Amino acid sequence: MPSACRVVANPSTVFREELDDWALLFNPDTGAVYGLNPVGAFIRKRMDGSRSVRDFADLVAEHFEDVPDEVELEVSAFVEELVGMGFAEYLES
Amino acid sequence: MPRVMRTPRAIEIDITNRCNLRCEYCYHFSSEGDVAADLPTDEWLAFFDELGRSSVMEVTLGGGEPFVRADLPELIEGIVRNRMRYSVLSNGTLITEDMAAFLAGTRRCNHVQVSIDGATPDVHESCRGAGTFRKAVHAIEVLQAHGVPVAVRVTVHHRNVRDLPNIARFLLDGLGLPSFSTNAASYLGLCRDHADGVALTVEDRVLAMTTLESLNERYGGRIQAAAGPLAEARMWREMVRKTAEGGAAGDCPGGCLSSCGGVFSKLAVRADGVYVPCTLLPGIALGRITVDGLEDVWNNHPELERLRTRQTLPLAGFDECGGCDYIPHCRGGCPGLSYTLTGSPYRPSPDACLRRFLAESGLGADTFLPGNGVTP
Ligand code: SF4
Ligand code: SF4
Repeated sequence: MPSACRVVANPSTVFREELDDWALLFNPDTGAVYGLNPVGAFIRKRMDGSRSVRDFADLVAEHFEDVPDEVELEVSAFVEELVGMGFAEYLES
Repeated sequence: MPRVMRTPRAIEIDITNRCNLRCEYCYHFSSEGDVAADLPTDEWLAFFDELGRSSVMEVTLGGGEPFVRADLPELIEGIVRNRMRYSVLSNGTLITEDMAAFLAGTRRCNHVQVSIDGATPDVHESCRGAGTFRKAVHAIEVLQAHGVPVAVRVTVHHRNVRDLPNIARFLLDGLGLPSFSTNAASYLGLCRDHADGVALTVEDRVLAMTTLESLNERYGGRIQAAAGPLAEARMWREMVRKTAEGGAAGDCPGGCLSSCGGVFSKLAVRADGVYVPCTLLPGIALGRITVDGLEDVWNNHPELERLRTRQTLPLAGFDECGGCDYIPHCRGGCPGLSYTLTGSPYRPSPDACLRRFLAESGLGADTFLPGNGVTP
């Protein structure tokens, strides 16, 4: 998917914030549970349909230290994985 | 110590105090979980909305017998609406074709656990009552036909301990279940009144361990146990092996009352809506649903906090453990069982005590070394 495509979390899945900014995603339809590190949890919290992969990459670069140059590629792979597991979907731009 | 989750991940609920049977070993009807009245539908539905807001993932409905509640489908819809999955613990006698179809249609059922204690009516019904076997087996068959996962629980007691090979053959070969789990009729609940005829004697426990370990080998690990003889045999093998290898003494989680992880990730509710730490600790009241907030109880109730620090209590501090070689590798057993047997959840459970079991059975510790069978 192009980096400009907006992303929205699947509202029928559960986002559980845990301690130290880690989080769990739970898909009640499949029973799948997916652990998110603080960066993943930061992105998932902002998946309200108004932001794209590129926006997430910019926000991550702004908020975290030592962000690698290829952050957009990494964010893109992460979002792709969430979409593949039914935790999020791309919106038509 | 394990980290406490921000909210419980799972909730176990006695959704009713009523049951259509009176199995002789049932813990429920002589425990503090035997409460006066069930809550109305609306209160449970409001609670499920709160669970949804708190991102709870799973609800287990037990009792009593959940299927005696005519509003059970409405309650399950409330669970599904709040993005949770669920399991039901049942005696199986009230599960109809229509109910199985309903459960399948929700697509959120982790499993229905049906209790089966024998491969024939006479053995199964020896504790559960006449006419229950055929209905429970029918329940398994209709659930299977609708694709609802079935988990069978076999409670091992004095009257079926010699029938375990037939039970395994019936469940795994006959009904084609992927696995089944085992427990034991312990001194909880009604079993306290009928202990002579129902509870496992020391000889029975030895026989159950021997039989279940060998059946489990024959069936490729398809027999499970979180408690009872098979779980004890596994736990005690580990303790004896580590002790023989000479582990360091006194470091937790071995060496402390560390066996219960439940209080870090789940909570329970009695049929009258009272929060308790576990369905096996029904006397420790923590507040009431829809009056006391779930997250407040979970994060702030002093008794829950105290139960979590149970993990740090060293076994060496208990008189009954004095001089025991197994201290570094013992975890003290389930607090629910210690509460029933000793009156306190903050002591080791006598039922989980290897030293006591060896003394009572006359077995040598080498019985539990690798390669050795549990034989007298
Ligand atoms: S009290 Fe016993 S049954 Fe309940 S969670 Fe703890 S170990 Fe398990
Ligand atoms: S006496 Fe029993 S409970 Fe205490 S440490 Fe030894 S085996 Fe464990």
